[in-house]
Amino acid sequence: MANFFPKWTNKLPVQILIGVVLIATFNVLGIWYWFTPKFTRVGYQPEQPIPFSHAIHVKQLGMDCRYCHSFVEVSGHSNIPTTQTCMNCHSHVQKDNPKLAVLRESHEKGIPIKWVKVHQLPDYVYFNHSVHVNRGVSCVSCHGQVNEMDVVEHVKTFSMDFCLECHKNPEHAVRKNEDVFNLDWKPGREQRQESLGKNLVHDWKVNPPINCAGCHR
Amino acid sequence: MKRVFQHPEGPVTGKKYWRSLEEYSDSAEFKQWLDREFPDNASEFTDGQSRRSFLKLMGASMALAGIGSLAGCRRPEAYVVPLVKTPEWMVPGRALLYASAMPRRRGAQPLIVTTFDGRPVKIEGNNLYPQSNGGSSTFAQASILDLYDPDRSKTLIVEGVAKSNSEIKTILESLRNQLVASQGKDVLVLLDEANSPTQARLVRELQKQFPQINIAVYEPMMLAEQLNNAPKAIPRFEKADVILSLDCDFLNFDEGGLQSIKSFTDKRRVKNPGDPMNRLYVVENRYTNTGAVADHRLRLAASQVINFAATLAQKLGVAVPAVNGKPVPLLDLAANSFLNRWLTGLAKDLQANSGKAMIVAGAHQPALVHQIVAAINASVTAAPQAAVASAFTGLNIVQAAELIRSGKISTLIIAGGNPVYNAPNDLDWTNLQKKVASIGKVYRLGFHNDESSEKGLANIQLPMSHFLETWGDTLSEDGTLLSIQPMILPLFGGISTTQLLGALAGFAITDGPELVSETFKQVAGGDITSAWKKFVHDGFYSGARIAAPVAAGNVATVTPVPVQIDTVPLSPQSLELVIMADYKVDDGRYSNNGWMQELPDPITKNTWGNAALISQKTANDLNLKSVLEKGIYQSDVIRIKANGKSLEAPILIVPGHADNSISLSVGYGRVASDAHGLRIASNLGANAYALRSSTNPYITTGVTVEKTGKRFDLAITQEHGSMEGRALVREGTVEDFVAVPDFAKHQGMDAHIPENISIHKNPYFENGQHSSIRPPVHQWGMAIDLNTCIGCNTCTIACQSENNIPIVGKEQVQNGREMHWLRIDRYFSSKRDASKIPLGSNLDEVIELDDTEMIFQPMACVHCENAPCETVCPVNATVHSEEGLNVMAYNRCIGTRYCANNCPYKVRRFNFFDYNKRPLDSLYLGPLADRPREDIEMMKLRSNPNVTVRMRGVMEKCTYCVQRIETAKIDQKVKAAASDNIKVPDQTITTACQQACPADAIVFGDISDPNSRVSEWKASGRDYSVLSYLNTKPRTSYLARLRNPNLMKEGAGFIMPDIDDVGKMSGGVGHHGGDHSAAHGHAPEGEHAHPTTPAVQPAGHRTPVQGGGNH
Repeated sequence: MANFFPKWTNKLPVQILIGVVLIATFNVLGIWYWFTPKFTRVGYQPEQPIPFSHAIHVKQLGMDCRYCHSFVEVSGHSNIPTTQTCMNCHSHVQKDNPKLAVLRESHEKGIPIKWVKVHQLPDYVYFNHSVHVNRGVSCVSCHGQVNEMDVVEHVKTFSMDFCLECHKNPEHAVRKNEDVFNLDWKPGREQRQESLGKNLVHDWKVNPPINCAGCHR
Repeated sequence: MKRVFQHPEGPVTGKKYWRSLEEYSDSAEFKQWLDREFPDNASEFTDGQSRRSFLKLMGASMALAGIGSLAGCRRPEAYVVPLVKTPEWMVPGRALLYASAMPRRRGAQPLIVTTFDGRPVKIEGNNLYPQSNGGSSTFAQASILDLYDPDRSKTLIVEGVAKSNSEIKTILESLRNQLVASQGKDVLVLLDEANSPTQARLVRELQKQFPQINIAVYEPMMLAEQLNNAPKAIPRFEKADVILSLDCDFLNFDEGGLQSIKSFTDKRRVKNPGDPMNRLYVVENRYTNTGAVADHRLRLAASQVINFAATLAQKLGVAVPAVNGKPVPLLDLAANSFLNRWLTGLAKDLQANSGKAMIVAGAHQPALVHQIVAAINASVTAAPQAAVASAFTGLNIVQAAELIRSGKISTLIIAGGNPVYNAPNDLDWTNLQKKVASIGKVYRLGFHNDESSEKGLANIQLPMSHFLETWGDTLSEDGTLLSIQPMILPLFGGISTTQLLGALAGFAITDGPELVSETFKQVAGGDITSAWKKFVHDGFYSGARIAAPVAAGNVATVTPVPVQIDTVPLSPQSLELVIMADYKVDDGRYSNNGWMQELPDPITKNTWGNAALISQKTANDLNLKSVLEKGIYQSDVIRIKANGKSLEAPILIVPGHADNSISLSVGYGRVASDAHGLRIASNLGANAYALRSSTNPYITTGVTVEKTGKRFDLAITQEHGSMEGRALVREGTVEDFVAVPDFAKHQGMDAHIPENISIHKNPYFENGQHSSIRPPVHQWGMAIDLNTCIGCNTCTIACQSENNIPIVGKEQVQNGREMHWLRIDRYFSSKRDASKIPLGSNLDEVIELDDTEMIFQPMACVHCENAPCETVCPVNATVHSEEGLNVMAYNRCIGTRYCANNCPYKVRRFNFFDYNKRPLDSLYLGPLADRPREDIEMMKLRSNPNVTVRMRGVMEKCTYCVQRIETAKIDQKVKAAASDNIKVPDQTITTACQQACPADAIVFGDISDPNSRVSEWKASGRDYSVLSYLNTKPRTSYLARLRNPNLMKEGAGFIMPDIDDVGKMSGGVGHHGGDHSAAHGHAPEGEHAHPTTPAVQPAGHRTPVQGGGNH
């Protein structure tokens, strides 16, 4: 009788088993890391058409966030400044800097600048800036120390878990409204974040939505 | 085992409510249809494709999806592109609102347009305008879709060749030069009725410059008024307590308008028992919105209304003028005691309410009817009304045709209209236009490349701009000057009629308001800087009206339709044909609008086409049938012969239609040879204009009908989502309300089951109290007043516009897959006489069905506190918010459809296909068929950016406009800043349906606030919840409908013969007269417990019912 299974097939079940385990492990690990916001978002630091440095403008020159992001307090969308806003200063300051060639071209020809979007939420999430910055949530809570960044980097995961963490425990993040745009503000010795937050949450009736409709419509 | 919940049957006595003839007859076909949440066709793959080819397609789509998703793993680079310069007012991410107006032939509607980043996305009524409550119409709501219609006329076409739009100026310049040379003597300009003072001024300017120029105005559905140049009467419903409508549909958006709807329904807001309410009598041949609201309705052939009016005049002692020496024949009252009693009761009521009574007659009734009505109004009722003359008048279409026929015209300029399609058929307009096109030139300014712009009929087609793209002005119903301002530059570079007239008169074509502000200067006088600003900002001019109202009593004639005192009696062999404007596509101008095509007609619930409406009796007489098969109506097709022409149309049997009468609406049967023109409108329904002559534009008698033997599939939504009776709609009479102020709470099952005691406590809101743990600030709820709802559908379209709801196409509507979040259930009601009409009886024998009442009920997700949908969702995609909203997380939904299955209200809608991404005629091809890029871009421009566009496989439903709620809450929190003032003030949030409602029948707000408007409404005795015995605790409740019958007596009996039918309470009151056990034979045990609340004692005939029961 012919030998249906040659000798090498003896090892086959083990090989298959190892293969399956390897593939499964690879998949699990792959999804665990490569598909999570931690990999896809955090650390994202694209190159912009103009090497704009927040560190120079905010840290060094002391500009307020709202000089450029002028509608952050009234609109859901925090606007990127128009060319006109940049040219308010740069028609006098650094007006021949080759790094600003794109800006000057935009101003002369009326072509908008295509800034690369760093922080992007999915289409089905309706985030609103105005309600956060008017109720004691600072820019730094989500965007990190932008005032110290030369190139803006995505530092928080922006996963649903990240949002809910704060929506469930707002006292960890709220501060007084006058400190919202001060990215270097730290709770003082006397006034720990815990007690300050608890007071503000109580006094202002802070009740961030934790149902689906709060963000998904 | 599956537990089958046996819903209680309706009571045997009392009234039966039904939505279609099939439901009434309770046929097996209907039952099968009903048993499932989604009908056969909706949930199963029964279409032409075999399973094998389906799998093949799916395989292909999986492969494509695989390729697509690989690229989706990594974050694609996205860009933020700010503007170079900041435009005035614009805040990225916030809506900007502008006032404008939509011109309509009988008076424009003032509007507020919401724009995002310069794109108009939503239209609402202007609540600043004093004569309006901020409501709007279906047409206004849907006109936003027209703006983004990819089938619009986009380029200049000269002799069939597309040219650049930059040549429009040159063409108009040479046209003007030609005018200067000829002094206009061989030129005819044909305009639409836009009620525009600027257009009127430019016409006068043209007439001054070119004294021989011919100007004509044509509106197909105003033909009678135009032939007569009559001023338009404005009835003052706010001053009338008793109203008789003779075939006048004053609650629609054509003959009526926002003002008449508001002033009429304001008199029906009965808050407390004993509050006054007006009484409406309607005499009409077909059910209209007005007839549905009537307290007493008489179905009568439209051609007999004149006889009715004469008979009424005689009863009231008013002289009726003779016609050609012959008196108008009176109705034979001796032979018809029903009619005799009806007329007597009506006459007495009019006499008793002299000074507060009013008769209105339909615009398509002959002049003599209007004369009789004016005579009665002047002497008996002293009806208050005013009238407005139109902005300008020109030649009518008959005179225009005569001019062309005489050969005097070599240049024809058609601005806006579509006469090849809709001119009266006896004028032979197509050949006239062809003649001018061959010997001279025909210029057509048109919104679409349609019938009138075909090659050979028009030499030059100019693209027309939408009213949202251009400056203009117009007059409202009462002659108030309204401003039209552009929201966006013309998408395709078209021009407006105003610009065209301006160019002919020698003014430059600009994007600015120069022509309009010049007119305004003449109206307002003096320095207009601030007045103009206010005019444009508010949308209307509060100064003197342009057309001053004519004094009351001076509006004798409206229509010159020649009087026909027909001696040939109506019979199945000699019927009458009534041609009317369509509720959805109007005179055809909205027929390429997908929202309007898919909107169910308020009365017939027919979509995507029209049908010849007839009564059950006439259908029986003519041996015509429409059968329900697999949920699809298959109707016999008839050939109608009228005015020497014939037309094939499917029939549709409508209860309450007059016998020997056919009603057919215009606006369908469009054809365009351009493959890209009218993709939505083409080949739908029958073109009623083909039967319309200028001598008999509306009512034709001596019509014959023959059966063609063909069948046609209609797409009717009336059975979709039926809830099988169970006292869903509730009504009573004004006197019942006085006798039992909470009558509505004790009808149907609620009459005799104990109040529900739930073991589940709402963790956030129980017994009107917020929980203490984490108190939410609001508890949302809604109340809908069935007494003021006129069933006009504006809410449905407003919802569609606000919430990015797609259309699904005729085929999918037939399958029961329409997506409207808000539907308006239309119930017929009739006294059920079980001995006479046994269940399941043959419809052909049920002629009593023609005598019915009608009631509307808007139905959307009611946001149950104990929502059955939430408990069955395996992935928590539908959950409850702490503010009482039943929310949907689209991204979690995996499309099991369990929720829809478990929803007793049948309000959940499932995306069976990617309706937004695929062409509607090739949905089954899946990703193999993509919609043209331009269509998708247009859809993106139109969509509300605050609402997710849903994809295939996702369940959706009414959200109470959660985007508006969240926006209002956020704005309030921003305002509160460092304070605790976060409660949104009452009436800050209006849902799209509430905002759009011209009758103000919907109110939304915080039910935890006892002072909110919604709490006030819910406190009314008329308030009830649908299916409350299921303990779902819906947040939307309804206020029961009231009817106000005429209770005059003659001797011991009531005069009105239909008194037993009018508003007789369904279910509860008068319920227990029948055999109790028989009535509830199928009810499960336990449902029959005795009530803790006092039920209502059965009432005898018309005796006030008493509270307190003997259970």
